[in-house]
Amino acid sequence: MARIKLVVNGQKRELDLDPTMPLLWVLRDYLGLTGTKYACGIAQCGACTVHVEGVPIRSCVFPVSAVQGKEITTIEGLSKNNDHPIQIAWIEEQVPQCGYCQSGQIMTAASLLKRNSSPTEEEIDNVMSSVLCRCGTYPRIKIAIQKVSGE
Amino acid sequence: MRNIPRRKFIQLSSASGAFLIVGCIPSAEGKEKLISKVTSNLPSIDLNQFISIGKDGSIILFNHRPEMGQGTYQSIPMILAEELEVDIDLVEIRQSQASRELYGSQMVVGSRSIQTQFEQLRIMGASAREILRQAAANKWETDLNDCRASNGRVVSNDGQVFTYGELIEDASKLEVPQKPPLKNPDQFKVIGKPFHRRDIPLKTNGEAQFGIDISVPGMLYASVERSPVFLGKIKSFDESEALKVQGVKQVISTSRTVYGRTRFGVAVLAESYWAAVQGRNVLLIEWDNQSLEEVSDLTIEKESLEASNSNGNELFGRGNTDKILDDSKEVIEASYQTPYQAHVPMEPMNAIVSVKENSAEFWGSTQNPNGIRSFIARKYEISENDIKINYTFMGGGFGRRSMTDVVEEAADLSKKSRVPVKVIWSREDDLTQGPFRACSLNVCRAVINDEGKVHALEHKIVAQEIRNQTGENMKAGRQLMGGINTNYTIPHLSVKGVLRKRHIPVSYWRAVYHSTNPFAHESFIDELAHRVKKDPIAFRLEMLDQPRYRRVLEEVAVRANWQASRTDNIGKGVAIAERSGAYFAMVVEVRKLKGRIVISRITTALDLGICINPDTVKAQTEGSIVMGLGAVYSGLTIKNGAVNEQNFNTYPMLKMDQCPEIETYIIKSNAPPDGAGESGLPTVAPALANAIFDLTGKRIRKLPIDMNGIM
Ligand code: FES
Ligand code: FES
Repeated sequence: MARIKLVVNGQKRELDLDPTMPLLWVLRDYLGLTGTKYACGIAQCGACTVHVEGVPIRSCVFPVSAVQGKEITTIEGLSKNNDHPIQIAWIEEQVPQCGYCQSGQIMTAASLLKRNSSPTEEEIDNVMSSVLCRCGTYPRIKIAIQKVSGE
Repeated sequence: MRNIPRRKFIQLSSASGAFLIVGCIPSAEGKEKLISKVTSNLPSIDLNQFISIGKDGSIILFNHRPEMGQGTYQSIPMILAEELEVDIDLVEIRQSQASRELYGSQMVVGSRSIQTQFEQLRIMGASAREILRQAAANKWETDLNDCRASNGRVVSNDGQVFTYGELIEDASKLEVPQKPPLKNPDQFKVIGKPFHRRDIPLKTNGEAQFGIDISVPGMLYASVERSPVFLGKIKSFDESEALKVQGVKQVISTSRTVYGRTRFGVAVLAESYWAAVQGRNVLLIEWDNQSLEEVSDLTIEKESLEASNSNGNELFGRGNTDKILDDSKEVIEASYQTPYQAHVPMEPMNAIVSVKENSAEFWGSTQNPNGIRSFIARKYEISENDIKINYTFMGGGFGRRSMTDVVEEAADLSKKSRVPVKVIWSREDDLTQGPFRACSLNVCRAVINDEGKVHALEHKIVAQEIRNQTGENMKAGRQLMGGINTNYTIPHLSVKGVLRKRHIPVSYWRAVYHSTNPFAHESFIDELAHRVKKDPIAFRLEMLDQPRYRRVLEEVAVRANWQASRTDNIGKGVAIAERSGAYFAMVVEVRKLKGRIVISRITTALDLGICINPDTVKAQTEGSIVMGLGAVYSGLTIKNGAVNEQNFNTYPMLKMDQCPEIETYIIKSNAPPDGAGESGLPTVAPALANAIFDLTGKRIRKLPIDMNGIM
């Protein structure tokens, strides 16, 4: 057990935790931020993607001790009113089906557009192919990203 | 979720059998009514179990089918709104409680939610509309025919207006018509329009709650180590190391039932999921594997091939196929194989159950809320009334969440530990434990006559059957022949099933046998077309009278530009199938790109009767195709009696860069609606294999396909 200090979505949190616990389970089971999802636990699917200092990471393999004091943003903190351009495009294009993978898709897409406001189709493919969707929403994800980047 | 009072409800079977039990109260004459009002003390009044109207005009429509991405959260209220005459974008949509008495079956399987209840849902909306009109007519002292319902209001011929909210109190006192007039499909304003799904905004900001997101006070998390070899029994286990892990509370052996067979495991219960997993990692368990380690892909293949020499039993027959095949000099024969597949809903399986002395509660994502209630009631002898079922959005189901085995584990552990227990399966558990889509061997044989027409065809399926996995009975059932097109006007046709039984459990997987049999059937039809040097679409049309099949096939030919001359670099393949009443035709176009074969386009045409929400149907088609392609590119393998693949690194899902452009064309129709959730899947494998043949001359008869290894 160790005293862990976190900054999540702008809020400071302090907890006594096993420092090797992956950030994912801290967010979900200790901070009640369940928008970040577990789906593989081995950095293969992207469902658990959050931003640390603006960079997307896979929280299922990231020990909580490694993110102490750093700015963590989860899907809950991406925008106040569900109005990040990516979220708006996602609703407009009716992207989600079951919705389970979508936090990871949205967090990954948001950071892609932050780095590169008009990615080519190939760049979108490269980045977004690391996030899995069993429901098959890929065609719509691509259209939604292209829509935002075209604006 | 608000409770709709259950008092005064009795059972009634409707003629169709689909909507088995709906709300009904004895009327004054003592006769049962199909539809009734459900009144409550709340400021709004429930006109029935689907519709609640407030005096302020607010309207709530209830969706009673669990939502796993299929879109009924929106499409069921759309049907109600159509007949009720309200603006779907202005009503509130809520998920209903789980109640067999109020809603009949709430199970979401086989793409049947809309198909089986379209009519009943319309009656629910229309009967509510009719009493609102009647209430207005009474107030104005005018004829019912002078009162028109529109947009949440009743308008009289001379221009007077009441909102539904102003009428609700009077309306709720009126007799509900049992056979209200239904709208003519030509008048539909909501049905058939691509309204935005109301669950979607909840799924873009983390707000949507899935089973795995719930926690209840006092609960422990559980992770269960189960025998990797199915049916393995626990010889002994040592929990001492596990109990040393901080946060671990208890280690308990448990079991669950999978299609009549008990499967054993050892559960670690802890304060956090992470602690439970850490504890599980240091459990020492000795398994008695019942000598099942011998089983592997090789033994299964060998055993299937041997079994295919037997005739099994006939599942469908016309003409005199056996004799013609026996007597013919030239019989064309081909065998096709498909592997086991896991469901892999993105949300891993999970359940929270609290079992007490005389009551129980479930929280989680399920395709089968009422099945869970009956299961717990039976197992612990608790009255169904004392079991509360709280169901959430599902992070995918694909058939896996229609089962109650995970609930059984959680209930068992709760009973033994006396606290609520949340069982979470890891992805590894999901892939290695199944149950799975059955693997199959299909042997097809045919005789072609002098005119180049198929004279006789035999399709033999060698596979496990979901409904018959244990016991002595080796007779294959009709279930096994799902997806075989008996509509081809082949004069002599025989479908045979050779039942296999194995220790590997099989289950319903999106489209079920329709996800495997058409690969063989439609590939073989293609082989026959090429054998007689006919165009594969023309060859199929020659054998089809069925108008819906013809329509989708003709449509897809036009849309996919089938007739356009092919270059050396492009191949096209076609396939057709029917699933849950929906007719589907698909053309896959493949190209050579940098020494590999890639799919450049998939064009589909489908006829599913009345389409409630075309955008949802398109999304479901895209989803079915992606899942179908995933099952073409990867499969599970069996080694040492167990599944070899553990996670996405060895059992890859389809990724965005493998996802082709998909075009979906929905045929306009006023026929009753059929299922949309699976119909795009069956044609994927054969249409792709046929396209690869067209491009390369190589015939794919075994899945998965290694797209990099073809050229
Ligand atoms: S859960 Fe972290 S990448 Fe899959
Ligand atoms: S929307 Fe269901 S897994 Fe992506």
